[in-house]
Amino acid sequence: MIRNLKRILPALRFSLWTAWLLILSVLLLAALAAGYLVFTRGLWITNLTDLVPWGLWITIDLSSIALSAGAFTLCAAVYLIGLKRYQPVARTATFVGLIGYTMAMLSLLLDIGRPDRFWHALVYWNDHSLLWEVTMCVMLYLTVLVFESMPIFASLGWLKKRFPGVTAKMGGRHQYAPYLAIAGLALSMLHQSSLGGVYGVLKARPIWFKPEMTVLFMLSAIIGGISLTLFASMVASRLTPRAKVNDFLLERLSHVVAWALVGYLYFRFWDVFAQHYTFDPGRTEGLELLTGGPLSFNFWILEMLLGALAPMVLLLTRVTRQNRFWRMVALALVVVGVVAYRWDTNLSGLLVVMPYIPGQQAVAYASYTPSLIEAITGLGVIAYGLLAFSLGVRYLSVVDHRLVAEEHRVARETVPETVPA
Amino acid sequence: MTKRIGRRDFLKLAAVGATAATAARALRSAEASENSSTGSRQWAMVIDQSKCVGCGYCTLACQAHNDINPEIQWNRVTTAGEVAGKTVFLPRPCMNCAKAPCVDVCPVKASYYRADGIVMMDYDRCIGCRYCEVACPYQARSFNWKSFDAPNPAVPEWGQPEVARRPRGVVEKCAFCYQRVDRGLALGLEPGVDADATPACCVVCPTGARTFGDLNDPDSQVGKLVKNNVAYRLREDLGTAPRVYYIAADPQKMEG
Repeated sequence: MIRNLKRILPALRFSLWTAWLLILSVLLLAALAAGYLVFTRGLWITNLTDLVPWGLWITIDLSSIALSAGAFTLCAAVYLIGLKRYQPVARTATFVGLIGYTMAMLSLLLDIGRPDRFWHALVYWNDHSLLWEVTMCVMLYLTVLVFESMPIFASLGWLKKRFPGVTAKMGGRHQYAPYLAIAGLALSMLHQSSLGGVYGVLKARPIWFKPEMTVLFMLSAIIGGISLTLFASMVASRLTPRAKVNDFLLERLSHVVAWALVGYLYFRFWDVFAQHYTFDPGRTEGLELLTGGPLSFNFWILEMLLGALAPMVLLLTRVTRQNRFWRMVALALVVVGVVAYRWDTNLSGLLVVMPYIPGQQAVAYASYTPSLIEAITGLGVIAYGLLAFSLGVRYLSVVDHRLVAEEHRVARETVPETVPA
Repeated sequence: MTKRIGRRDFLKLAAVGATAATAARALRSAEASENSSTGSRQWAMVIDQSKCVGCGYCTLACQAHNDINPEIQWNRVTTAGEVAGKTVFLPRPCMNCAKAPCVDVCPVKASYYRADGIVMMDYDRCIGCRYCEVACPYQARSFNWKSFDAPNPAVPEWGQPEVARRPRGVVEKCAFCYQRVDRGLALGLEPGVDADATPACCVVCPTGARTFGDLNDPDSQVGKLVKNNVAYRLREDLGTAPRVYYIAADPQKMEG
């Protein structure tokens, strides 16, 4: 008996990696089962209703798209503005973006009533619909991301060994990067803003009906997107020797995030403050949900204090920004803040049931808590993202700041002699 | 060096191209009438709140004729308050707005205008994203959360189904019984006058509170009612231009 145990024990000694994979697999399997139920039985098994038809899945969808914004921002910085030294970070961001957009697709497939008709938006165009525009941009941008990440997949040893011709083609397409960056910038600016616009154009929902929704959504996406890429890179570099980061690059970009947060908080302050004094029916009630109602913890603590103020201070202060632990904490908090903003935005508009009966002052409130099925499938989508990133770090070296594309190596330029004019 | 210039040129070209495309598109859609009021006949409904007693027959007839899941109501009768101790009711079908938010937001054009003003739903095209539900100020849209396979409890007492049942996963709503209007017109009947060409809710109403007809025709009953009474529409401030008019309750004209 004891001898048997001794023989088995070494096999049971999990490495951290195996344990991680196991946890993710369990989450994914549970989500597959729950997803099967959603597809076969229908959306009535969720807690969504006709009054609150968008909930947790939409939040995951919006958040994954927002947190993928590091890809277009950093690619534009590297290939258009010419900040070439950030190229390895842009590489990570591109991979994170690819994962984020596929996560968004997964949660949307769960959310729409007829997932079998997901392609309808590509065929039946309604160019008055912001949601149509978002769908088209997301599809096109996902294509751009696939092209942008081809050099990453070309580094896969398995693929290299079997199809050297294909990987050579995939890897040798780096000269198109600037053009892809232009396309990515245009498409992302469009849909990151218009995701806010999807809410912002609805006159029937006063707390959403304002032009700054577009600005706030894009700004918060850029901030959250860069933060997630930096955070994920730092976590990976702590956990595995396969991830190599250049701390200087991370520190500089964190400083950018800090100042972007200053800008974001400025806009957000006026957004809330000025709206308060419109005393618009429905808008006032929506704001009260945030400042004193069921969303107040999210709003004050997660969104404002932890999600924006704290990381802003931590990243503006040189000591904490240069300290890796505090920088990591700050970047993680930014991500939390962006997700909380998406959740609060969605619910502050939907929970207020606007009256249509004349003279009716009483505003009714709806309520929403995600059902277990929604939570399990939502966790599954997140687990897929974590799994994809982990595999990327391990097999594709997506976090390796020593990898610099040939043309981005800093060349010693000979400065021409100055001549008097 | 040549490469840098090439990139800049590309940027400029892309910018010019995008601007041109956007401008062309904007011009085209401004030209093509997206307006719902192009037809010579414009269907509208008038609901007299002095006459409505809140019996809910309209809802039942609607459920039967349109074969609606009992968990969904296209035509809901709500209470709007009290006047001189008498309860005032407000039946709410789809407003079939002339500037319908649902039509604008639908990503696949599953909601669209007919020339006669009816806001239609293409149930074969709807992807079930529910953006229209979020956009509608009147809660006139319902999502098919569950599939409806059971016999319809409103049939046969309140009528026979005239349209196909909607599948699970699409949004549905009232469309002024377009099937009755179209069939009636084909038979040479006049909607709003002949029962067989008029929405089921108007036909069944025991107090004659609901009237249907052509708003473009000043001699139609709808035209007269809107002209001779102080008629209002719901949430006119939103600019949706609903096609359902209400005549406010007058306690003198109300029963009991």
